[in-house]
Amino acid sequence: MARITLENITKKYKDKTALDNLSLDVLDNEFFVLFGPAGAGKTTLLKTIAGIEFPQEGLVRIDGAIVNLIEPMYRNVSMVFENYALYPHKNVYDNIASPMRSKLYRKDEAYIKEQVLRVTKMMRIDELLDRKPSQLSNGQRQRVALGRCLVRTPNVFLMDEPLAHLDAKLRHFMRGELKEMQSAFNSTTIYVTHDYMEAMSLADRIAILNSGHIEQLGTSLEMYYTPRNEFVARLFGEPEINIFSGEVEEASGQLGITALGQETIMPVEPDVAAVLRSGNHKRVHIGIRGADITFSFAEKLGWIRGSVYTNEPIGNKVIMVVDVKGTHIYLVAPNDTKAEIDKPVYISMNMKDAILFSAESAEYIIRHDARNVSRRRGANKAVG
Amino acid sequence: MDNEQKTNVSSQSKNTALDLLGTFGRNLGLTLYALFALFPLVWMIICSLKLDSEMYNTVFVFSPTLDNYKAVLLGTDYFKAFFQNLIVAGGAVILTIVAGVPAAYALARYDFKKKEDLAFQILSFKFAPEILVILPIFTIFQRIGLYDTYFGLIWVYQLITMPLVIWVVRGYFEEISVEIEQAAQLDGYRWFDIFFDILVPLIKPGLVASALLAFIFAWNSFTFPLVLSGFKIQTMTITSLRYIASDTVHYGQVAVASLVAVSPEIIACLFIQKHLVRGLSFGAVKG
Repeated sequence: MARITLENITKKYKDKTALDNLSLDVLDNEFFVLFGPAGAGKTTLLKTIAGIEFPQEGLVRIDGAIVNLIEPMYRNVSMVFENYALYPHKNVYDNIASPMRSKLYRKDEAYIKEQVLRVTKMMRIDELLDRKPSQLSNGQRQRVALGRCLVRTPNVFLMDEPLAHLDAKLRHFMRGELKEMQSAFNSTTIYVTHDYMEAMSLADRIAILNSGHIEQLGTSLEMYYTPRNEFVARLFGEPEINIFSGEVEEASGQLGITALGQETIMPVEPDVAAVLRSGNHKRVHIGIRGADITFSFAEKLGWIRGSVYTNEPIGNKVIMVVDVKGTHIYLVAPNDTKAEIDKPVYISMNMKDAILFSAESAEYIIRHDARNVSRRRGANKAVG
Repeated sequence: MDNEQKTNVSSQSKNTALDLLGTFGRNLGLTLYALFALFPLVWMIICSLKLDSEMYNTVFVFSPTLDNYKAVLLGTDYFKAFFQNLIVAGGAVILTIVAGVPAAYALARYDFKKKEDLAFQILSFKFAPEILVILPIFTIFQRIGLYDTYFGLIWVYQLITMPLVIWVVRGYFEEISVEIEQAAQLDGYRWFDIFFDILVPLIKPGLVASALLAFIFAWNSFTFPLVLSGFKIQTMTITSLRYIASDTVHYGQVAVASLVAVSPEIIACLFIQKHLVRGLSFGAVKG
């Protein structure tokens, strides 16, 4: 297992820049997740490390050694491709055995058999060994591709959305298996995903990629509690974080924020107030997650009045959308919440959990207790 | 209730009757077409068994004879022409595969300047009528000593065989996801191994079908061997002309010559059928 370092990588496809002067350091035995929207350059980044795409500028290092000029086959990396890239004319067994049969990584057949059986059992495809890829469902093909990747002991595992086509239950199971494997084998893994839950549950660290550069790099809890900008904040959490603009007001020496056309000033904590004062912020964007908003159908003094817009039960919780003077606020309600459309509802924002962004640049300004929140929450509360 | 059942039953029996009629009609149609398609061949076989004297005054009833076969197969050097044709057409196809498959790979995978123009240029060799280019080629071949040689004919046959193979095989290469090759690279295979272990099995249906078609075209070629070969090399198409004499046409002998000439093609066509089964590369890549 190895440490992977990228230094100032720039990769262009004709006029389009896929990776823009990107640097990254993935530690030995780290489970590193690349997360971002489609077209952000995640796959290109993996292929650059694998050596099947060549950057125009920058260095790729595996364990300190520059590998820019080393052929993919000699880099000893193992990759799951997003489109599986299985060999159509070989059956499942031969597909998975293929990396152990090449001249370079040759093993004896008894060892191959043992390894293939181990991996296919883990992937729950041990009954499909004689099938050709065309006889498998997409989920099964994806597991074969993952099996072909995991059967080796390479410098690094590169996984391009390896669970994207599995059904929810199997995906959950495989997530657990991958995590288990990670701790058992001490493997360096770089993992691309669209799914924020997958990212948060698996990652030691996450890099948010957006149009060829890294927006933020850190642990999943840092991403969740102190996102660097609104783009990152919106990527994490379901329902998506509420972001709306507010005015910074001062009343009787206490700093607060008014928003959503309300007159009530929502007071902020002293550490937040200090930053707002020193930065001379007048207008801010308030980001607040659905779980940090309380609601009541009975009228409460000082709470914001709105009306129920939609009410969507999703099993273990209810996502309620409240319309406040044209702005839609998403909040998480208990499972048994029943509300007719247009029914008046009163909500209260917990400003201790609000994340403030600059109204001009959408960059992060401050949240209450920012330094400790991700660590403290991580210790005693599951994220979700 | 009873009524309903009855109507059900009767409509069911009506359906099966219709189905049966449909099947019958389909098979009848196919049989008629098969007779239509095979008739020229049958007619040729019949002609090959007739004496010249019976050629015009009998249809199906005549006294069969093997004289024509004796005259053609034993009396002339027809077998020599057959093998020379085999060398020329087979050699042309082998050269086409050796040079054309890598060319098709390059046209499918690599991005270079004027790629499409080059591909179209290759295809356009197929458009040009042979008779249009035959005179300059004849002059050139005379000068550089390729006239009446195996290599000269094999070379010029590339105009017939190469475009076909390149265009069909290129399509097959394009259908193979480039990620399959990349995965094989990461698995530790050299390009050479990847090409033979992974790409060749995947293009095989297209390669076999187009190579056999190319072989048939080369085998049947008439204009090129007529002008570009002399006494040393004679292909079957040219040799068959021999039975058309100035005073009379020996139709029986022409029929025998033609029958022998088409036999490799018929065998080849039976092979094509088997190898035309596609869909091998489908399914391994997310569609």
